Amino acid sequence: MFANAFLKTLRDQRRALVGWGAAIAVLVLLMAALWPSVRDMFEQDLLAAYPEAIQRLFDVEAMATGAGFLNAELFSIILPGLFIAYGIGRGARLTAGEEQDGILEVVIVGPLSRTRLLLHKAAALATGIIALGAVLFIATVVASAVMDMGIPVAHATIGTVAMVLIGIQHGWLALGVGAATGRRALALAVSGTLAVAAYALHVVGALVAAVEPWQPLSPFTQAIGPGPVGGTVPVGFVWLALTAVAFVAAAVPLFRRRDIATA
Amino acid sequence: MDPVIRTSGLSKHYGHIVGLESLDLQVPPGIVFGCLGPNGAGKTTAIRLLVGLLRPTHGRAEVLGIDLAADPDEVQRRVGYLPGDFKAYPDLTGGQYLRYLGNLRGGVDWQAVELLAKRLDLDLTRRIGALSHGNRQKVGIIQAFMNEPELLILDEPTAGLDPLMQREFLALVREARDAGRTLLLSSHILTEVEAVADMVGILREGHLATVDSVENLKARALRRIDLIFAHEVPEAMLAGVPGVQEVHADGTIAQLTVEGSTADLIAALAPYRVDDVVSHEADLEEIFLAYYAEEG
Ligand SMILES: Nc1ncnc2c1ncn2[C@@H]1O[C@H](COP(=O)(O)OP(=O)(O)OP(=O)(O)O)[C@@H](O)[C@H]1O
Ligand SMILES: [Mg+2]
Repeated sequence: MFANAFLKTLRDQRRALVGWGAAIAVLVLLMAALWPSVRDMFEQDLLAAYPEAIQRLFDVEAMATGAGFLNAELFSIILPGLFIAYGIGRGARLTAGEEQDGILEVVIVGPLSRTRLLLHKAAALATGIIALGAVLFIATVVASAVMDMGIPVAHATIGTVAMVLIGIQHGWLALGVGAATGRRALALAVSGTLAVAAYALHVVGALVAAVEPWQPLSPFTQAIGPGPVGGTVPVGFVWLALTAVAFVAAAVPLFRRRDIATA
Repeated sequence: MDPVIRTSGLSKHYGHIVGLESLDLQVPPGIVFGCLGPNGAGKTTAIRLLVGLLRPTHGRAEVLGIDLAADPDEVQRRVGYLPGDFKAYPDLTGGQYLRYLGNLRGGVDWQAVELLAKRLDLDLTRRIGALSHGNRQKVGIIQAFMNEPELLILDEPTAGLDPLMQREFLALVREARDAGRTLLLSSHILTEVEAVADMVGILREGHLATVDSVENLKARALRRIDLIFAHEVPEAMLAGVPGVQEVHADGTIAQLTVEGSTADLIAALAPYRVDDVVSHEADLEEIFLAYYAEEG
């Protein structure tokens, strides 16, 4: 537990991970419990009564399958939002928060270089988010089996990876800004702004033809564009991973080159 | 021998506020160097520059023969550091925290940690967040000493310690010095620096006012001496003695302020009948005040 900065940082997340993991599992199972009644509505063609415009806006057709239902209800806003919130909240705390609490300087004046400290923290944050992803994956697979939603394991995997990647990307941005500036509030603000902007671009791009060409730039579109619970691995995953790595890599020289604050 | 710390023109400005200005300092190995100065003098600034937490505005520093700007990681690997405002993870126990830092440093002799905790009377099983200020400070002292680093840089290490623990801490400092290590510590408490330091630097408003051995500083100290004569005070004669700076005469009692050695004064007194001499021991407090007064 205290063998190195990676394990220590992971240990610090243990309570949060249990809480967030439980919330995610409950959310998925509750939503899945609604699935039988939604399916019945499709089977009885009750939704056909709605005007066509409404049907298109809410992509009602897609909800006729179990995967489409989970995509619409969970994987397009709520789950990305949760993974982003976890990533940003933790990422901002890991270096900037500890620095502003005055805890970091003794750790830095020691054998662990700033570079390695940052890499340990980035790895621990990613591991925490992957653990949440594992919970999401298991909950999805179990819910699909119990509620007869017919979601293949491979599709659940792709949906989970989308959530994990967007969480890590925003988390590492918050970590990077915190390390580069030492200011937790700034780290929260910058990465929160990215999340909102990404979501706005994703939605507006879907509705406004003039914006549509720009939509693939949105991390939201990159993550959830084609599903995300579905059969294709989006190219956007590569962009999410590359930008996430770039955020940490860019922070390293800035972190090394600046004054460390006192509490 | 090469100095353990060597700075030239080391300066730190915070915007237009001067934290430290052109510090030229050499600290030889195997000594205790005391850094004295009033609040805001620049002690913490100098210390945080020397451990690589701050980047200098101008100038350079070599620590353990390593250029700090070129390889701060190596310097940080080899020094023990206690910040002026020591904080640790409040949710960990002292033992967990020290184990963690020990592991980061590639393992630590746990018996040594327990011995230090025992000497400082610290319960390692209590959460750091629940410790009193003084007990938290002990955790900080232990983490600085536990790996037996060749150079220890301690910012106001005795802050919050009770007198008994201060004495134990000073014993630790002497033992480390006697084992050949170098220590730099800052303090407001002059008597404690006087008690352990071999050399003292006095900082004032970001400038190094003086560096000297404790003996030399004492020799240059202003000392107050009261003389009680059998007859009238020979005021004019006293005022003419080398080293005597001030004379207050009141009947047969003279109060003098003497700088450095009193040998000339004693010789000059030979023809007179002196009933009593009261010498007030020179301490750094007076040296300190003298330096401030001089500059200000
Ligand atoms: N981060 C900072 N930003 C701006 N000014 C600072 C900063 N840190 C220190 N200073 C200023 O630099 C000067 C030196 O401060 P420093 O903390 O080094 O003094 P000190 O000798 O350690 O004082 P003390 O005995 O109170 O601990 C002070 O005028 C202080 O206000
Ligand atoms: Mg200070």
